[in-house]
Amino acid sequence: MRLLNQIIAVSTINLKSLPQRFLPSLSTIVAVALVVGVLLAFMAMAAGFQRTLQGTGSPDIAILMRDGSQQEVNSVITLDQVRLVGEAPGIVRKPDGSPLISAELYVIVDGVKRSTGTKANLPLRGIGADGPALRPGMTLVAGRMFAPGSNEIIVGQALSKEFAGFDLGQQVRFGTTVWTIVGTFAMEGSVFESEIWGDVRVVQSLFQRGSSFQTIRVRMQDQGALDQIKAFSEGDPRLKLAVTSEQDFFAGQSSGTVKLIQYAGWPLAIAMALGALAGALNTMYSSVAARSREIATLRCIGFGGTSAFIGTLLESLVLAVIGGLIGALAVWLLFDGASTSTLGQGFTQIVFSIALTPALVAQAMVLALGVGLIGGIFPAWRAARLPIAAAYAQG
Amino acid sequence: MTDFSLVLANLFSHKLRTALMMVAILIAFLIFGFLAGIQNGLDNVGGKAAESRLVTVNKINFTQPMPVAYVNRIRAVAGVDNVSFANWFGGYYQDPRQVIVTFAVDAETYLQIYRDDIAMAPDQRAAFLSTRIGMVAGRKIAERHGWKVGDRIPLSSNIYTNKNTGTQTWDFTLVGIMDPASEEANPDFILFHKEYFNESVTFGRDTAGWIVIETADPAQNGAVADQIDAMFANSPAETSTDTEKAFGQAFLAQLGNITLIITWVVGAAFFTILMIVGNTMAMAVRERTKEIGVMKTLGFPDGRIFRLVLGESLLLSLLGGLPGLGLAALGLSAIREGIGMPGLALAPFWAGVAVLIMLALGFLTGIIPAWNALRLNIVTALGRQ
Amino acid sequence: MSDLITITDAAKRFVKGRETISIFDKLNLTIEAGDFIAIMGPSGSGKTTLLNLLGGIDRPTDGAISFDGARVDKLTESQLSAWRAANIGFIFQFYNLMPMLNAARNVELPLLLTGLSAKERARRVQAALKIVGLDQRASHLPREMSGGQQQRVAIARAIVADPKMLLCDEPTGDLDRKTADEILGMLQLLNREMGKTIIMVTHDAEAARYANRVLHLDKGRFVEQGAMA
Repeated sequence: MRLLNQIIAVSTINLKSLPQRFLPSLSTIVAVALVVGVLLAFMAMAAGFQRTLQGTGSPDIAILMRDGSQQEVNSVITLDQVRLVGEAPGIVRKPDGSPLISAELYVIVDGVKRSTGTKANLPLRGIGADGPALRPGMTLVAGRMFAPGSNEIIVGQALSKEFAGFDLGQQVRFGTTVWTIVGTFAMEGSVFESEIWGDVRVVQSLFQRGSSFQTIRVRMQDQGALDQIKAFSEGDPRLKLAVTSEQDFFAGQSSGTVKLIQYAGWPLAIAMALGALAGALNTMYSSVAARSREIATLRCIGFGGTSAFIGTLLESLVLAVIGGLIGALAVWLLFDGASTSTLGQGFTQIVFSIALTPALVAQAMVLALGVGLIGGIFPAWRAARLPIAAAYAQG
Repeated sequence: MTDFSLVLANLFSHKLRTALMMVAILIAFLIFGFLAGIQNGLDNVGGKAAESRLVTVNKINFTQPMPVAYVNRIRAVAGVDNVSFANWFGGYYQDPRQVIVTFAVDAETYLQIYRDDIAMAPDQRAAFLSTRIGMVAGRKIAERHGWKVGDRIPLSSNIYTNKNTGTQTWDFTLVGIMDPASEEANPDFILFHKEYFNESVTFGRDTAGWIVIETADPAQNGAVADQIDAMFANSPAETSTDTEKAFGQAFLAQLGNITLIITWVVGAAFFTILMIVGNTMAMAVRERTKEIGVMKTLGFPDGRIFRLVLGESLLLSLLGGLPGLGLAALGLSAIREGIGMPGLALAPFWAGVAVLIMLALGFLTGIIPAWNALRLNIVTALGRQ
Repeated sequence: MSDLITITDAAKRFVKGRETISIFDKLNLTIEAGDFIAIMGPSGSGKTTLLNLLGGIDRPTDGAISFDGARVDKLTESQLSAWRAANIGFIFQFYNLMPMLNAARNVELPLLLTGLSAKERARRVQAALKIVGLDQRASHLPREMSGGQQQRVAIARAIVADPKMLLCDEPTGDLDRKTADEILGMLQLLNREMGKTIIMVTHDAEAARYANRVLHLDKGRFVEQGAMA
């Protein structure tokens, strides 16, 4: 209890004298805030990207692509294969007995990013009549669905916001063909919101793709259906298609980009943290030096070295926590929810929102506390070992 | 003893503090050096030669093909010296997740246009040109997979199907190894013959993925590009022609605004260091108030005191910054090979910018303490009142 | 002996808050070259201010100060700096050595203000350290020396540039009797053998005995012996 009282007394003296060392203390706070800010900006970008991809795709929809193609854009599927897949077991059928299936074409067209004015790869997806039925959660937020057989397209709302020229009612040119935007759709912030959709037969003809497709989507009856479809595809030499659930397919797309952002963010933040640590150590050493007379006087009265140690450490931790909170708050205010885009593994732009999660803030605070702890512990050790005679020394 | 040694003595009177400051500054310039190196790498994508080469792609998007007949029509355009073309093969070796950059090319013209980038032994080059199923690989790729010249290599495509076998795999003979012909070059890819591609794919025959053009005079690049694009206007496959460098950079821009991110990070790092060092310099000079008073008493003129203090912060900045820059240069050269970005280096321009920033940092952090030292009154400094 | 310093009707006033404090008014003093004067007086009598004026680190509010016939109080700041470097050696109570410089470098400081070569500077530093008996301690830092030794380094620093006048502010105030006597003996020697004019402010009557003349300052006025000035 006595020790606690001592610690409280010393900490109070330290913290109350903070305003006297305003600038050095402020520099520590700002330094830690910037470290936390840089780290969180990168991590929130990675988290936002990951969230968008992991929020895309349904577990009960299967995607079939040419084996080895990895991405929708690489795959090639013939009309015959589409017909064969329609006979596969385990897929949901419509009341008339025909399969719920959408054979799709995925071509890349150029768009212009609003924020930078630079060219960007955008996906134009030709979908079949059942396409929307295989996209649970999709809603038209403006306009109407494209009319089959026409040069009409609908665009994802994220794409429409991020890239120029995709507003409702506008016309866009892809090569020599002109398309009219008749609707804007939302789909729970998923990757699909970064796409342009049109009638697959029109896309086939205007892009000279004959009767070829790239992917097939079907709805599965139950969890076991995936294996049934796989076995069906394996068993027919005309198919040999790779079958994955849509959810797994998109989840697998995030790792590369997320790792790249994280591998850039952490070393940068740690390097900056070392710089901030140097500053924190300096601030605390000078704080101890400035209070050496007070500390020594307290020691004269009978205070223990422990209280001087903890009081100093606490001061450093308080500065670091304040800095960390300011950094996190700044990222939250400036970037959280802001939308941006990058090239996904499918070779097209994916629009995502920067997402600051509590887990990330916790990680960043650990880094801030680390700076405060190391930046405080050595000066605290010096404070605890300060010669008591310093109380009498002439200044 | 000189004024310089006085500055040194002052600077190292607090060894720990000075060491900590140097570490902080070192880190700031390490970050700067690294990010400047990356920026330099991005700026130099494709190397210097890329500025004199044009690339024609389909206007819809560069992933859309063009009729191969375009190649000969472009060859006839005035001001065009050499033309070649390539198709993206989407190659991989055994593991479909590990894509190897593989181009089906018109070999003779391609090697001619990239003569300053691709170095190959003359006999290997001759073997390549005469072997229909021959392929040449960048040295790093060959080493990674343990391939030797003469080996039979089955390479697969994640796009095309081989109509001869009904599979996605083609058999090639490795006939040559490519090395960079200049420092900016990085032939980290595989080339094989477009004839072999054309006769065996199930679709995509007689197309050109992109067309590479060498012009007679780089000053005429703009005019040549306009003429080519005008030639194919209103055709089913309109074109977009630009310098290879601009094309490369437009592609990189798709990853995101890297320059902006670099600017923000470097800005944040420097603001941090400026605060820390500025404060510490002010503190150091404040602590030496009495000593500065004594020096003035001894007759040191104000201007000289000012220069001594300013010299101290400048020296601190350089002592921390130059090693930081050096470390960045070493680090960049260490990862340059691994990443395969030849421009990833500390260019003289950026090193110069860094030294200017060091001087500015030293000046900014030292100017107020130096001014205070200059204005210091002896009577109050020594408490003689 | 000729007059080295003449103070004529000097006044010094400070404004502190709303009050104006007068340290002294119409102070007159003449000091001959080669003299060794002790100035005594209680705290607040104006001793330190007088020494500041004599050393050109402060200016009188009124009146004139002449050194070797030239007006010191009319010099600009930079002229004063050069004047101090050429004519005055300071010795302080707490030595005021640069903690990061060793003895030789501390002594060398005033020589940096001259155009002397490094070799010549080193020779003079060595000579000055020999005079104070510390030529074997040239590379020691102040914190590695006793108070008496530090004060001797300070004396070496004060004489190395060969000034005409030494100003000492309580030079033995921080030292024990025995060490104080050594230091005072050294000052006396400098006065007698090298002809340095010395003005020493002190509280210590024992120390004052080493001087040729003792002035008592009280409330800004010289009393007893001071009255004759």
